[in-house]
Amino acid sequence: MEWLSQQFGTRVIALMPVAIAVNIVLGYTVANVLKLPIYLDSIGTILVGVLAGPIAGALTGILSSLIWQVAIPGQSIGPFAPVAGVIGLLAGVWGYLGVYRRRPAEGGNLWLPVVIALGAIALLVLPIINNPAYNDPAFTVPWYSAAIIAVAVALGVGVVGMAYLRRDAAPAWVAVAGALTGVIAAICSAPIAAIVYGGVTGAGTDIIVAALRQGGADVFNAALGQGFFSDPIDKTITSFVVFIILAGMSRRLIARFPMGERAVGPEPA
Amino acid sequence: MIRGWTGPVSVFGAVLLTVVITGVGRRLVSFVVASLPLVISILLINTFIYPDATDALATVGPFTVTGTGLTVALQAALRVIAFALAIGVFVATTDLDDLLSDLERRGLGRRAEFVIGSAIRMVPRMVERAGEIVEAQRARGLDTEGRPWRRARGLVPLAGPMIGGALNDVEERTMALEARAFSAPARRTPIRRFPDSAAQRAARWGLGLLIVALTVATVGGWLNVP
Repeated sequence: MEWLSQQFGTRVIALMPVAIAVNIVLGYTVANVLKLPIYLDSIGTILVGVLAGPIAGALTGILSSLIWQVAIPGQSIGPFAPVAGVIGLLAGVWGYLGVYRRRPAEGGNLWLPVVIALGAIALLVLPIINNPAYNDPAFTVPWYSAAIIAVAVALGVGVVGMAYLRRDAAPAWVAVAGALTGVIAAICSAPIAAIVYGGVTGAGTDIIVAALRQGGADVFNAALGQGFFSDPIDKTITSFVVFIILAGMSRRLIARFPMGERAVGPEPA
Repeated sequence: MIRGWTGPVSVFGAVLLTVVITGVGRRLVSFVVASLPLVISILLINTFIYPDATDALATVGPFTVTGTGLTVALQAALRVIAFALAIGVFVATTDLDDLLSDLERRGLGRRAEFVIGSAIRMVPRMVERAGEIVEAQRARGLDTEGRPWRRARGLVPLAGPMIGGALNDVEERTMALEARAFSAPARRTPIRRFPDSAAQRAARWGLGLLIVALTVATVGGWLNVP
């Protein structure tokens, strides 16, 4: 019970609306204004999950989706609230396990996680490169595929660069945790997209659904394919962004949150 | 598998009825207009590319219009517009502060009330702030127009200051809340009370129970909606 109530101290209560507003404003800009094939609508959710705990993270995600649906007209996000909840819950678990903690390492201890992270990113991107539906010239999908591959390459370079420059294995584990979160989010959101909207949600990702259907996928598999296209890379970037935010926040500030010390670990000697 | 028309049409009809009764039709135009990209996307993709549909009506370039696809598209569009209108009626008829203070009187915790209320109020302020940040970055030479790839690059100098500034506010807000006895154990005494007739209360309970009953009946197979 104390575990639950300490996730909702005044500081967390003050953080949650800020996190929700960041989710909505960034997510709306990315999906509806820039029409990119990713979302970037869970930075606040993951931040709260890591700093405050799984239940606070899940609630931030669920409230973000519901408030987004009411605050901005013409959105399709509301029914996806459970997915956002799962993302926040997972972020809390990763934070508890210390995924976001700095991990100074050398040699094999440093490069093994990096190789695992690069492998995970490659595993997510290869099906996109190999799927003929994404190269259909009738759609603008080649542009989207190129964008997602460029993002994945940038992510890989980021993981390697941070590992090399800072001798820190944490970015690699953060990328792996983000990719796992994305796969689970894709699996959770596909049935919602298929049943509520017939797979079409009005964001930039619709073109991917169209391409997959033209390639012969049914409603559910097209929605699932779109999820696997966007979610893992999106959540990996988001987790990475949260890691950078945490690295930029003062430790004094972080330690005041219920899971702050667990999330960033002890002061380096 | 295609579902029948009864569901989407009756939901749409019920929502239209509330629009007419509340008389907020004119304020809902913006909700319908904002839903257009979603509706157009639903119409186009389902009409032209519906998986395994063979009843072709016409052919445009590499795409074929199918009867199945058109039916699915129109039903989904109707459902989405009904959803948008229902939210529109709620927003147009209900004042946020009134709703939250009444919910608090009915037992919603002050923490939940603060999170919901302040999140909704913060969205327009943060949009404003995002605009200011974009202006400031533009003055420093950031390219925010043109090709999508260039615009995507502009996200980093936008998101950075936005999140950083917002997190700085958290500390101040925590202090402000604590200074106002936010974590005090006692309940606040609501001063404003809102009129709530017995008929309205009965209608609310009745509608809630009707939703549960209809869901159970259709899922259980006792009620077959064509």
